[in-house]
Amino acid sequence: MPASLALLVAALLFLAWEARAQPAATPAGPPAPAIVPPKLLSDPNVAYPEGATGDATVILVVVVSARGSVESATPEQENEPFSSRAAAAALGWRFEPARRDDKPIAAKIRLEVRFRAPVVTEQAPAQPEAPAAARAGAPVPASKPPAPLEILVVGERAEPSRSATLSRAEVRQIPGTFGDPFRAIETLPGVTPIVSGLPFFFIRGAPPGNAGYFLDGIRVPLLFHVGVGPSVVHPGLMARVDLYPGGYPARYGRFAGGIIAGETVEPEDELHGEYNLRLFDAGALAEAPFADGRGTVLAGGRYSYTALLLTLLSPDTTLEYWDYQLRATYDVGADDRLGVFAFGSYDFLGQRTQTETLTLFATEFHRVDLRYDHHVGERGKIRTAVMLGLDRSALQQDRSVRNRIAGLRNEIEYRLSRDALVRAGTDLELDTYDVVLGTDALSPSAARVAEFFPSRTDLAFGARADMVVNVDPALEITPGLRIDFYSSDGAAAAAVEPRLGTRTTLSERVALLSALGIAHQPPSFVVPVPGLQPGGLAGGLQRAIQESMGVEVDLGDATTVTGTVFHNAFFDMSDPLGAVVPQINGCPPGAFPTDTIGGDRGTQPDNPTLCGVPRFPPGTIGPDRSGGGGQGADSRGGERAANAFEVRTLGEAYGLELFLKRRLTSKLGGFVSYTLSRSLRSFQNRKYVATFDRTHVANAAIAYNLGRNWRAGTRAVFYTGLPKAPDPTDPSATRLPPFFRLDLRLEKRWQLSKKVWISAVAEWMNATLAKEAVSTTCTLAGCEAQTIGPVTIPSLGLEGGF
Amino acid sequence: MKPGCALLMLSTWLVIGCGGPDPEPSPPCERKCQDATALRALREIMKLVFNLTLQGNAVGPQDETTPCPMGGSARVFGQATSNAVQGAIEVDLTYELTECAYLQRDDEPPENYNMTIAGTVLQQGTIAVQPSATMALNMSSEAVSFVGTVYDPPIGFEEPACAVRMGQSGNQLSGTICDREAGTDL
Repeated sequence: MPASLALLVAALLFLAWEARAQPAATPAGPPAPAIVPPKLLSDPNVAYPEGATGDATVILVVVVSARGSVESATPEQENEPFSSRAAAAALGWRFEPARRDDKPIAAKIRLEVRFRAPVVTEQAPAQPEAPAAARAGAPVPASKPPAPLEILVVGERAEPSRSATLSRAEVRQIPGTFGDPFRAIETLPGVTPIVSGLPFFFIRGAPPGNAGYFLDGIRVPLLFHVGVGPSVVHPGLMARVDLYPGGYPARYGRFAGGIIAGETVEPEDELHGEYNLRLFDAGALAEAPFADGRGTVLAGGRYSYTALLLTLLSPDTTLEYWDYQLRATYDVGADDRLGVFAFGSYDFLGQRTQTETLTLFATEFHRVDLRYDHHVGERGKIRTAVMLGLDRSALQQDRSVRNRIAGLRNEIEYRLSRDALVRAGTDLELDTYDVVLGTDALSPSAARVAEFFPSRTDLAFGARADMVVNVDPALEITPGLRIDFYSSDGAAAAAVEPRLGTRTTLSERVALLSALGIAHQPPSFVVPVPGLQPGGLAGGLQRAIQESMGVEVDLGDATTVTGTVFHNAFFDMSDPLGAVVPQINGCPPGAFPTDTIGGDRGTQPDNPTLCGVPRFPPGTIGPDRSGGGGQGADSRGGERAANAFEVRTLGEAYGLELFLKRRLTSKLGGFVSYTLSRSLRSFQNRKYVATFDRTHVANAAIAYNLGRNWRAGTRAVFYTGLPKAPDPTDPSATRLPPFFRLDLRLEKRWQLSKKVWISAVAEWMNATLAKEAVSTTCTLAGCEAQTIGPVTIPSLGLEGGF
Repeated sequence: MKPGCALLMLSTWLVIGCGGPDPEPSPPCERKCQDATALRALREIMKLVFNLTLQGNAVGPQDETTPCPMGGSARVFGQATSNAVQGAIEVDLTYELTECAYLQRDDEPPENYNMTIAGTVLQQGTIAVQPSATMALNMSSEAVSFVGTVYDPPIGFEEPACAVRMGQSGNQLSGTICDREAGTDL
């Protein structure tokens, strides 16, 4: 399969190249001069046309003179009255002209002007000129749409390996994500959920422990509070979240299964903020300038009062979480900026006794990133950053693990010429782990697992570079290389990772994208947990070869469709989830051991290992498990878990991804995301479908502006059931039942002034109260699917901004 | 203990079905209650020592020593055989506890202890490993020393040289400690 897909990629690339090849090759000669595009100086907001309805997007072709004035502005497509209004406004704009080698030149650019249906204020008496239209249900003419900036220079191309990007504004419209950009990852193609509502994913067949989380290039140990709650970063801080399911850019490494990268918003030079209040938590974020705009300071965070609710409803359980984000920047010169970005998160799940609160599970992490940014003229920028961090997790019986982190990274982007951009960097990270196993004794299996987590110091050093080269107006290639060195508990390993991305433009609206790369990762834990990183590189590095080929079509009217085929091959995977073969619970009919003397307990045996299988190897002494409570007693389940933790598997995943999206902020927006895939594992000369393989995963969402600032949305989620354990009562069944759920969202927004707004949001994940099959349970009377749930999340909240 | 319930609440943010009344203040733990916890401590220390030493060994004569989790040590020796299919272990063992310390914390007040135990304890009978087998054990000692606390909130418990006789049937533990009757369910 890898070879065939690679051939397919090569063939398609060749065909695309042939189709777009120019008669004359680019002449050889000195490097092309650097060109700086025009920069808009005028207010980009365009008045919403009177009498119009709904959102619209107009693409303008604008010719900017060498003096910065607009000589012409022509809509690419007619969409009245929006196109005329946009063209008329653009003719009055002023630009900082384009420059070639620092000399002003005329330039033709494409601009995207977006119109959003203006909001209707409820303060009709204060706006006497508007009530007629408002009463008629039509949008009121908006003088200027609020921020964010609604104009973009077309040409910022998505990297070939990035399967999708979600902006904050769009994520707010996706039902079931609660406006959380990181939660919206589950809606994207290539992402397979473990269980509905649980934000740990398989990405193109790679387990959750192989996915790397980054925020502004800083590795983050976990994304969600208590594993399943809201994300650990205030949504208002997020500009966007990108998913790189494979063949990612060279700047990302040390993870073999995919990258989820969040980018924070740029500092703003005017006071702004937002807040939200929900049933279970409250959050706020504000940013203000100082020193006449040379500096900015931002503070944000979230606090959960679930502890209070739980105190009222379940006195013996306590649950807390909070997070914070602090950022300050200061421009020390025209080209130099100093900054500090600190963020962190805390979760605690405990059990109250008469005298103390016992820890069941607690995690925290903190990061402080000190940055110095320098612009190298108009051609490039350099960032040097020092990062300090702390990860800590605590478990029952005073067991804990702590990781103190020190990191240094350097990044540079430099445009060598009009057609060549170099990106390079190095990073060094030192992780000092302190592992405390507590005062209790461990069973043999638990002790085996604990040996993977020694106290130690790990070192990782990486260097990388790639170059975005426009070989031809129709072909952009990005070759890259990343080299990492790992050291842990006396063991060392090195990884060399070539990467290649291509973008071939077939027409103005059609492009082919391909990505190919090798990625390595030290052994990983089942799911990302702060500080729980296996040490010693036992079994060597995990390795993945990732390849994909896709086509991207701009259908116009803010609608795009992409189709991608992918193939991933995994080697030496530490994938305990995938290595555990599904087993039925209980004893199926006819399986009860007839050659043993059973006690009269009045109930059926509650452990499948009793069905004719000795509880422990004959000739050995089993554990004393009387009364429960462990006390070092081992079990077959514990043994299986320990075995799964130790094994390394081979894996393979391939499939097709489709993503059709019309911008969700449009009057009628939505998307359809579909993944057809197969994920396999090989272990002990046996090849089988991976434990969490799902053949079909589909998400479809629609968001509609109902008028009068009401917006409604719904999302449907469907996926195939998990592979089923061999069921003697139904040998032909290979899958558990599929899952379907519906999410709903309704928002009413009030625009109190130009900048101040407030929304009431009702959202309900799994409004259909669907239950999900996760395993098979058998009794002597028969077998049936065991379900969990319904996992449903109703939410009421207020959101606002200024 | 409702961690599962709490997790479900978090994942669903539903606040139904996990409720319960405010916690009652702990009932006073008199001598009988304290003795029961001390008996539990001794049995659970023996269970831990067994699992840390003999679990997984080949059947036959045994002689193993292990450090105890919170200090001290324990030696266990004697005979142990098993029937893996039936899930039962026959034991005839002697435990030598040397200032062997262990603690247990739980939301059930009588199941909390922090105890250091010294003495020699004999153990004979059947340890059941699977539900279809039946636990039937006799344990005895002429002199066991207990020093530590029992219950939550902790109550000091000290017996310098105490005869212990206890039997375990299923999960029921009963017998005498310092000639006082005591019993508890494991």
